[in-house]
Amino acid sequence: MPSISSDLPRTLIIQLARLGDLLQSLPALFSLREQYPNQIFDLLCPQPLVVLGELFPGIQQTIPWNGEDLHDLAKGWDGTLTQGYSQTAEYFSRFSANPYSVAYNLNNHPRSILAAHLFSERVVGAGDFGPLNERRPPWVDYLRQVACDRGDNRLHLADVFCGICGVRPPVVLPSLEPPDLELPVDIGRIVSNASLVKIGIVLGAGDADRRVPVGIWKELIEACAEHLPNCVCVLIGGPGEREIAMAIENHLSAIYLSRILNCVGRTSLPELAHIFNRCQWVVGSDTGPLHLAVACGTRVIGWYFSRARVHETGPYGGGHYVWQHQGVDHFENKGITPLNHEPKLPCSWPVVETVELIQGQGNIKGVSEWELWTSHRDDWGAFFMNGERSDSLVSQRKKVWEQLAGLSSKQYLELPQQTSNAGCLL
Amino acid sequence: MNLFQKNVELLRRQDPALAAQILQTAGGILSIQTAKSGVPTAVTNNRTIHSAYDPLSEAERWADHQIENCQSGETLVVLGLGLFYHVEALRAKLPQDTVLIVVMPNLSELVDGLSVRSLDGWGERVCWVWGQAESLASKVAHQAKRIRLLTYEPALMIHQKEYETFRSQLRDQLAKGVSGRLHIMVVGPIYGGSLPVAGYMVRALEALGHRVSWVDHSLHAPGYQNLNSLKDDRLRMTVQQRFSDTLGVISLAHVAEDPPDLVLAMSQAPLSMAVLEQMRRKKVLTAMWFVENFRHLTYWQQMIEGYDFWFVMQQAPCVEAFKNAGASHVSYLPLAADPTLHQPVTLTREDQLELGSDVSFLGAGYRNRREILPFLLEKEWSFKLWGNEWDRAGVLASVLQRNGARIDTQTSVKIFNATSVNVNLHSYTGSGFDPDGDSVNPRTFELASCGAFQVIDHRSLLPEIFDESMMAIVRTPDELVPVVRKYFHEPELRRVMAEESRKRVLHSHTYAHRMQTLLSTIGLACPDRIGSILQGDRQAEALLARSQDCPELQTLLKTFPKTDRVELVDLANAIRQKNPETQLKREELLILMMDEYRQEKRDFL
Repeated sequence: MPSISSDLPRTLIIQLARLGDLLQSLPALFSLREQYPNQIFDLLCPQPLVVLGELFPGIQQTIPWNGEDLHDLAKGWDGTLTQGYSQTAEYFSRFSANPYSVAYNLNNHPRSILAAHLFSERVVGAGDFGPLNERRPPWVDYLRQVACDRGDNRLHLADVFCGICGVRPPVVLPSLEPPDLELPVDIGRIVSNASLVKIGIVLGAGDADRRVPVGIWKELIEACAEHLPNCVCVLIGGPGEREIAMAIENHLSAIYLSRILNCVGRTSLPELAHIFNRCQWVVGSDTGPLHLAVACGTRVIGWYFSRARVHETGPYGGGHYVWQHQGVDHFENKGITPLNHEPKLPCSWPVVETVELIQGQGNIKGVSEWELWTSHRDDWGAFFMNGERSDSLVSQRKKVWEQLAGLSSKQYLELPQQTSNAGCLL
Repeated sequence: MNLFQKNVELLRRQDPALAAQILQTAGGILSIQTAKSGVPTAVTNNRTIHSAYDPLSEAERWADHQIENCQSGETLVVLGLGLFYHVEALRAKLPQDTVLIVVMPNLSELVDGLSVRSLDGWGERVCWVWGQAESLASKVAHQAKRIRLLTYEPALMIHQKEYETFRSQLRDQLAKGVSGRLHIMVVGPIYGGSLPVAGYMVRALEALGHRVSWVDHSLHAPGYQNLNSLKDDRLRMTVQQRFSDTLGVISLAHVAEDPPDLVLAMSQAPLSMAVLEQMRRKKVLTAMWFVENFRHLTYWQQMIEGYDFWFVMQQAPCVEAFKNAGASHVSYLPLAADPTLHQPVTLTREDQLELGSDVSFLGAGYRNRREILPFLLEKEWSFKLWGNEWDRAGVLASVLQRNGARIDTQTSVKIFNATSVNVNLHSYTGSGFDPDGDSVNPRTFELASCGAFQVIDHRSLLPEIFDESMMAIVRTPDELVPVVRKYFHEPELRRVMAEESRKRVLHSHTYAHRMQTLLSTIGLACPDRIGSILQGDRQAEALLARSQDCPELQTLLKTFPKTDRVELVDLANAIRQKNPETQLKREELLILMMDEYRQEKRDFL
């Protein structure tokens, strides 16, 4: 881990969860920067995601949280307590030279809470009542409640992160600046070819139940090849998805093989950002790479099924589409907590309809089991509409913000709206 | 002054008595030769003690290998002397303050070495301990608690017996000073004869003050045995194997949930090699007490590398067989009794009527018993036969009690107490007595612990446990009836002998004794883990004494009673008990953080 040495007061943002959560934290970072333009911001994130954190605009230093190191340190306490303590204290001493003036903690996990208090005496977000105090701040409590029982929540996770940090959703749509990298020759040749329509297909998912079957991906690739001239489907995934990509290649008819570019397991996160930046569309389930594509300014079409829900983790910003499977609402309508049940998986998939969206067709037919949502943004953050008109729940977001921030409507009205300096809520 | 005299003078400064003894001792154990490299090497009984090519390089390699495991604060004790190249190499690699002891049960070997090798420059920084094995153990135990034994095998073989005695004496000496509390996970079998022993083991360990987690797989016995309804043998065995494998994974989950210092498995415990390998990967120490006849049940051969420590109830042939098969640590550990269960009891009139007899036998219907016991019928005494597996009992059917039902521990204790002459024949699948019979069955200890008189068949390991003042020993089946008759008519002699046998059990042969021996054996082999815990190194008082460099830790440690064992989890739990509003100090946050990672189990199964 790098040492920290600066005399300037600094702020630390802590996000120790997975890729998707880190990207959903981007709006909070933007809002904090808007609110505190003279502040220095550092980011604490899992070690494998540091390369991505380094692309976050305005982050001076990205500090890796190395779980493996810490696990080994903990094992060291099995020998002798005093030795274990000495080694741990030495490991963390590199962080203590210059504590942060404030740590914004976005995870309600004991490790994250403890890390926040180790880095700063002032913690905002999860754990701000102290590491032993089970009391949670309103926004953190809301998030936990939504995780247990989604109800009619319409607040986007990224906006709740803003709330946790005590700021409004950002005025400027957050985005990453992908680095200009030299890609492997075969990949670089295709993604740099401006005459091709590149459609990224995100094969993987952190949880197995969010994976789209191989046969469906094959159908989508064939449909794209048939209906979109000059299109190339760019297969995206980590090393764990290599077999899926190979299975797709094996199942595809030879005439379509020239219409795919297999990048699975061959790219780092910055390279992936570079590729997404050159894609016209990206299709995938609710995964970290899909949100990376969003952050890179690429339009996405999400297939949200299993436990994924558009209103919470849909693509942030305008112009994106989400096909929401009805399986989730199926449970909610019966008042059953979906997290405690096996999700209902789709029997059919919106393959042709996705291609039609890419083609820009305005009049998409309904698909059995699925609803089409479009992404939007207003003063209260991201929201999604099914059809032309937003439902009443969308407008209720303002009340939720008022309640959670402990402010009256009047106070809210007095806050600056969509200015260059977003209002501080807490 | 020649080399020998210079060496003796150097030793005189450390131990005048040793120097004097050396001058009165003749050498000649080692035959000194010149190695290819030009330095002296040694041979005894046609076996080379050091390399014939380059003893110095060989000693360097030995020392490098030994030093890998050594921890600071340990006293290193070298067994095996030779020309002490290895001692010199080790001394050179150790920090100045590390105590290095060389144990010498025979000074002739030293005399040979002093004639050709110089101690100058290093010998004064070695503690040369000499004498009989028993006194050597006392001297070493007196000097240090955290002891790591290092063996130089080629030289150790010269006085192997003396070193073995030293080792067991040292183990017993150290066991006396044990104050630390271990967390031991006992994994028992699904069913069978070793199941009650697992229970006795648990009680003994608890009585010794250790924290015991018993993974009792007998709870799953009905399900396992229900699979016997499958008619296809191959299918049944496959399903039962998978059932057993699942129980192994359940054991692993228990280990993950509450990691013990030691997993102690009983014979037939359903731990597969895959499970044991995973435990090893996770640095969980494992031991198996194999209370079976190694010649009859041979599955140990497939499991031999799975356990760090094996304890067996048979001596040399068994220990050798296990070592040859690849076991790194094998120790003899006979069975025992649990005097809180196996004890004299006063019987009710009804019990005496049902369970009492002049002569009885309790046990399963093995072939030799079926052939020998009928000779006890139709004599001047009443005879009762107890136990199961007596189908087609023939003439014995008339004396078989409770239709051959399995007899539980409580009832067996009553039967032992209610019988004048208890016949104890070890099981054997052939005729007569087992000619290779060595180990002593649990019934021997249980009868003795009950203060019950027994007539027992001879076993080669019996004399070191009990003698003929404690029980009647028969060497051939023909002796059985005359010996039973003799003692049947000698009630006072029976009483005296039985009382002696009970005293012997209480003094040396309870499961508590066995567990003490087992733990101190492991402690001696793992001084930095089990050994240090047993010696109290993890207790608050000892931790406080060693935490001079961590004053912030001292404040926390002072909140624990001095003799409490304190681990990371205990510190973390103590912090979590604080008022929720408390602002934690940095060290407290670090402890809680480490405890979070300690609990991580994501890759355990």
